[in-house]
Formats: sequence, structure tokens, C-alpha cells
Amino acid sequence: MEVKRVLIIDDEESIQTVVKFGIAMAAGWEVLTASSGPQGIDTAQSESIDVILLDVMMPEMDGIATFHALKTYPETEEIPVIFLTAKAQTAEKNHFNDLGVSGVITKPFNSLDLPGQISKILHWELQS
Amino acid sequence: MALAHLQYPLQTPKNSSTSSRQQQTKKQLLQPMLEKAGDAIAVLDPSGTLLEVNAAACHLFGRSRRTLVGKPLATFIKPVLDITFDVNQVSLNGQITIICPKGIERHVEYTLTHNVYPQVHLAIFRDLTQRQAQAEEELRWQRQRVELFSEVTLKIRQSLQLKEILRATVTEVQRILRADRVLIYQVLADGTGKPISESVLPAYPAILGMEFPEEVFPKDYQTLYAQGRVRAIADVHSPNAGLADCLVEFVEQFDIQSKLIVPILQNLNPPSPSPENSQNQLWGLLIAHQCSGPRTWADFELELMQQLADQISIAIAQAQLLETLEERVAARTAQLQKMNHNLQQEINDRMQAEAALRQSEEQLRLITNALPVLIAYVDHQQKYRFNNKAYEDWLNQRPADIQGSHLQSVWGEACYRRMQPSVEAALDGAVVTYENEVMVHDGSTRSVNVTYIPHLDEQQTVQGFFALTSDISDRKAIERMKDEFIAVVSHELRTPLTSMHSALKILATGRLGTLSVDGQQMLEIADDNTERLVRLVNNVLDLQRIESGEVTMDKQAHNAADLMIQAMEAMQPMAGQQGVTISAYPKDILVWADADYIVQTLTNLLSNAIKFSLTDGVVTLTIEVRPTPEDKTKKEVLFQVCDQGQGIPADRLENIFQRFYQVDSSDSRKKGGTGLGLAICRKIIEQHEGTIWAESTLGAGSIFSFTLPTLKR
Repeated sequence: MEVKRVLIIDDEESIQTVVKFGIAMAAGWEVLTASSGPQGIDTAQSESIDVILLDVMMPEMDGIATFHALKTYPETEEIPVIFLTAKAQTAEKNHFNDLGVSGVITKPFNSLDLPGQISKILHWELQS
Repeated sequence: MALAHLQYPLQTPKNSSTSSRQQQTKKQLLQPMLEKAGDAIAVLDPSGTLLEVNAAACHLFGRSRRTLVGKPLATFIKPVLDITFDVNQVSLNGQITIICPKGIERHVEYTLTHNVYPQVHLAIFRDLTQRQAQAEEELRWQRQRVELFSEVTLKIRQSLQLKEILRATVTEVQRILRADRVLIYQVLADGTGKPISESVLPAYPAILGMEFPEEVFPKDYQTLYAQGRVRAIADVHSPNAGLADCLVEFVEQFDIQSKLIVPILQNLNPPSPSPENSQNQLWGLLIAHQCSGPRTWADFELELMQQLADQISIAIAQAQLLETLEERVAARTAQLQKMNHNLQQEINDRMQAEAALRQSEEQLRLITNALPVLIAYVDHQQKYRFNNKAYEDWLNQRPADIQGSHLQSVWGEACYRRMQPSVEAALDGAVVTYENEVMVHDGSTRSVNVTYIPHLDEQQTVQGFFALTSDISDRKAIERMKDEFIAVVSHELRTPLTSMHSALKILATGRLGTLSVDGQQMLEIADDNTERLVRLVNNVLDLQRIESGEVTMDKQAHNAADLMIQAMEAMQPMAGQQGVTISAYPKDILVWADADYIVQTLTNLLSNAIKFSLTDGVVTLTIEVRPTPEDKTKKEVLFQVCDQGQGIPADRLENIFQRFYQVDSSDSRKKGGTGLGLAICRKIIEQHEGTIWAESTLGAGSIFSFTLPTLKR
């Protein structure tokens, strides 16, 4: 499997860091980071991204608003989005699914497990 | 004598001087008889001329013998008496009127006898006028007696007082009979007696009240009188009276010359139907005395006395009846007074009770009005029957206006819909507690906790229910704040935890550099506890969400076997680490459940079972469908997780479902639990309308069971 390019949009720098380290270490994928919704949208528009990990709870522009924005641009509308959330409830998950997100990963997570979880959600063939 | 001059035209037989002498002798014999006869006698010749009259006749005709003799009878009578007879007729009789001097007429009866001697007729006259007068006198007397009798009777009857009656009787009898003494003698039970009423002329001694010994009036006398004997003794001294000498002596001391005694009888059992019982008893005697001399008692006097004695008998009977009646009236009056008293007492008691009740009601009203909760009584038609003042504060409607109103009209359609199931349950006899949101008169909403307590009558029929509604708005607000706080905190913890967790995991790979053995150990501790902290945060958040009702179970039809396998697979790694075997026996049973939460429950139970199992232990997961314990016709799905661990003491079996409760606190640290797992399981199962419980045998293991309703189609 080719090296995937993952964009993590999270206002927490430590999350960006552990996600970046974990994914790189576990699967060798490239991880791009953004600290806010607008910054993330910019990156997604300018870079070639395979999947966006989007934190739901962010100040100013939250994950849902960012998601809607991403869907408005032709360059980004096709990119699969996976929500990172502290809200793990079924009803919320269903709500997110209804929005058209590809999946939900609940915090706290182990960043080393992320490539596996992402591949499972997006039905990627993960190199063992 | 006048008769010696009688010149009868006697036809003496011619041939017998002896016969003439004989006739002469007869004449001499007849003469005085004629003269002395009481009837008026006249001798007539065939022409009707008076030949001779006797003294009585002179008296009757009112004329002297000289005036009469030699005159025709017709001169003195009318109508003309025909004295011509049929030869065969011996005598005739009839009535004529004699005309006396001064125009006086006397009606007489006559008898004319023919030929007492040849050519001599005999006429006898009897004065009818006198007899008529006598008869009239007699009649007058009789009428007077009747009048007197009725007068006395009336006097007697006018009184109900026996004493008065007796007094009236003796007075009246004395007056009517002109007796010297009249008394009523009462015979007492021992044979003695005494006059109890007397009317006596002043000239004679009174004997009223004297007590007479039995000898004066012996038993056999009593018996005779009791049989109704009446004694009239014209003269006590006469041998005919038959009075013993001693008795004569005895009566003489009271100047008694003559006496009349009638019994006063008393019928012992007048109303008795059997005749042998209705015996007459001698009550006393009504006695009349004549002291001035002997007296022959006339029949009517006897009769009067007897009738009066009978009247007295009646009066006695009536008096006794009256007495009995008065006794009964007195007894009844006393009884009624007592009843009245009791009634009064009862009324007093009742009034006191009512006053106490009113006071108690007033107190109750004061208490209920003082309470800050809504207190009401609702009848089986869902209408208010009682409301305390708090209703007025909340709804701005007076309790009197609310009473009789239906719940729906008081609270509105939407609110009533939320109340309705609980109201119906209460009217089915269940105690119900629920929470509701109600709108008050200013438009604000209050959170309330409502309890309905059914009111059952003696037949255990629900008459209505008591409704207690308390304002829990403040508590709800605090709960909301708490929930929000927990949610925020938990959420805010998750992000740093994610970083820590991931960072530690990355470190643990050793790809960023190799740690010393001690360093590795510290890292593991940090990693383990981070994981534990993650679980704790997850559990706290789960529990808060479920309890706050924020979570709604997303129930769908699921095959229980799938859920069991998911849970088993999830726990397999842990079981493997502990050397424990999970034996699952899944079955294809459809359940109506939120799959995630049921899997969470099963993993939680399996995790506990594994934690408390010994190495090489077996944990069993089973499922079955069984009838519900409450209603055998309904079914439920039973899940069971069995372990072979140390077991749980019986008194802890319920506590373990409380938050942060662990049987042995040392276990908590050793097993890395959060103390919230079973509490969450219970909440989840409750949300599924199932039950969860634990059974255990110390040293042998525990069984954790929960039920879910069978699939509702």
C-alpha cells in the first residue's frame, strides 16, 4: 500500500504531535497538521490529502462547521473525513454519520492504533 | 151498728122458720164483715137503687150512708150502669166514674154480682184513681232512682282518684237511701279490714279508720261475699237475722239496728282468656246502716247498692290500671329520661368529636397550607376534591375553584398527557412517583416530583389518590449543572489523556530509544494508570449520561448471539492474559436493545468475571428464554455470566451495584476497576426495562444475570 497522506485538524498541539508520531511509527504514513478549521481547509485545498482527521470540539470554527466548509469546495469535497470526538455516544455517532462523515474515532485513542482504525473505516488494504 | 138497720128486700122461704133464723144468723155474721171490708161494697135492687153501702163505699162516694141508701146508683155514676143481666150471667165487671161532691170524680173498677140474694145484687168498687196515683208515684220513684243512680255513677266516674270515688259513693248512697251510715269496708289480705270511707249522720259514732280483727269477718263470710252474696238485715236483733250474739253485741256499739251489705268484687285477671283464672276476689263491702231503728230494705235499695258496688269494682280496676299505668309511665319516663340523658351524652360526645374533627381539619388545613408542596386529593373521575393553598400560589386559582375540576382542565392538555399514565396507574392501585415539568400561572416552568398514593376503601376499591407534588426545579438545576460539569470535565480530560496515552504507547515501542529496566517499569505503570484513567473518565461520563437521561437507548432488533460473540471476542485477549477460558453458548434469540450498551454490559460482566477468576478458571456466558416471574404467560430473555471465583458475601450482593463499591478495597487496586462498571450495567439494563442481579456461593463462584424483554413486534 502506498504511503497515505493524513491531515489532522486539532487545536491541541500535543494531539497533533502524538498523532503524527503514532501514524508515522505504526504505518509510515505522512501526517500534515492544522490547528484550526480555516487552516485545515487551506491545507486540504493546497495539498493532496487522503484522509482528514477532524477534531469536533474546537474554538471558533468547530469540527462540524469545518466539515460543512470542506464539502463546499470541489478540491476538498471528495476527501474522506473522520471525526475525532470525546462524545462517544451512539446517537451522536449516528448524527455524524448522517452528516456524511466517513467515521468517528473516540478520544482517548492510542495514536499507534490510528492507521488500523482508519483503514478499517475506509476499507483500505493495510500492509501488515 | 148501721148494718142492723138494713132492710133487705129479702125473699125469705115461706115454709121455714128455721131457715129464717138461719138467714138472720148469717145476716148478723155478714154485717160486721161487710162493714169492715176494705173494698167499697153496695147492695142494689134490680132497679139499681142502692139498698145498702158499707163504710168504704161511703168513703169512696164521698157521701154519707143516708145520702146514698134509697137512691139509684145511677145518680152518682157515669155512664149509666146497666144492671140488667142476662139470666145466665153471674157477674160482670167494668169501669165507671163516681161523681163525688164538689165535682170530684173517681175512676173505679166495679164487679157486679147478680142475685146474691134473690132480687139483690152486690156491687164492689175499687178506687182506680188511687192505684194510678200509686203507680205514678212508683214510676216517679223509679225514675228518681235511675236519675240518682246515674248521678252517683257520674260523680264516681268523674274522678279517677279511688279515694275520691269512694268518698262520693258513701256520701251519695247515704243521701239517697237516707241511711244513717254508709261505709266502704276494705278487706285486707290477712282477713282483717277497715272502713276506708264513711258518711255518717252526726248523731251516730263514726267508725272510719277502725281496724277490725279477722273474727269480725270470718273467712267463710268472705267466701260467701266473694260469690256475690248480698245481705239485708232489717233488724239485727231479730232471730231471723241469724247473727251471733257476739256479733250483735259488736254492732250495737256502733248503734247499728239494721244493715245492708253488698260485696265489692274484683276480677283478678280480667284480660285472661282462661275462665278458671278470671276469679272474683272480695275487695271490700259497701255497707249501709240504719241506727235509728230496724229498717226493711227495699229491693231497689239493694239493687242500687249492688250497682254502685259494681261501679266501685270498675273504679278500683280502673284505679289499679291507672296505678299500673302510672307506674309504667313512671318507669317508661325514667327509661326515656335515661335514654334522653344518654342521647344527650351521645350528642355531647358527637359534638365534641365534631369539634375535635373540625379542629383537626383546621390543623390539617393549616399544616397543608403551610407546606411548600402541592397536596391534593383526586377522585376516581380524576377530579380534584381537596387542594392546599400552594395550588393557589402556583396556579393563581383558589382551592375552592379548583375543586371539582378535572386534572386536564387544571394543568392543560400537554402536561396532562405526561401525567396520564401515572394517574391511571394510581387509580389502578399503584403508588406512583414520577417527575414532570409543569407551567405555573406566570408562564414559568417548574420541575416537579410527583407521588400518587392510592386511597383504598374497606373493600380495597380505589376511591381516588393523594397527590403530593414538590418543586424540584432547584435540584434539577443543580443536577443539570453537575451533569454539565461532569460532561465538560470528562470531555476536557479526554484530550490530554489522548496525548498522554498515545505518547506513552509510542515510548513503550522503544523506537524512540531504549529505557533501562526500571525506566521500562515506570513507563508501564504510567501506561497502565493512563488506561485506567481513560476507563474511569469513560465510565463517569457514561454513568452521568445515562442517569441524566441524556442518553436515549437506540433500541433495535438484534440477534443476541451476535452481541454475545462481540463481547466474548472483546474480552478474549484479557481472558488469555489471565489464563481464563470463556465458554459462551450463544443462541439465535432476537432482542430489542441498544447493541452497544448491551455489549458494554456483557463485556463489563465478563471483565469482572475474568478479573475475579483464578488461573485456569472458566467463565461461562449463557442465554435462555424463560417465563417472567411476575406473569408466567409472558417471557423474557435471561443472560448469565458465571465464574468460579471466590464469590461475594450474601450481604454485599446488592451493594456491589452501587458506585465505587467494591467487596474488598484491595481488589480495586489489584484488579484496576473503576468502581462504576456494575452501576453502569444496572442503569443500562433498567433503561432496557430489564433487571440485573447477582447470586453467589462463597468459594464456588458468582452468577451475574440480567434480563431483557423479548422482542416487541
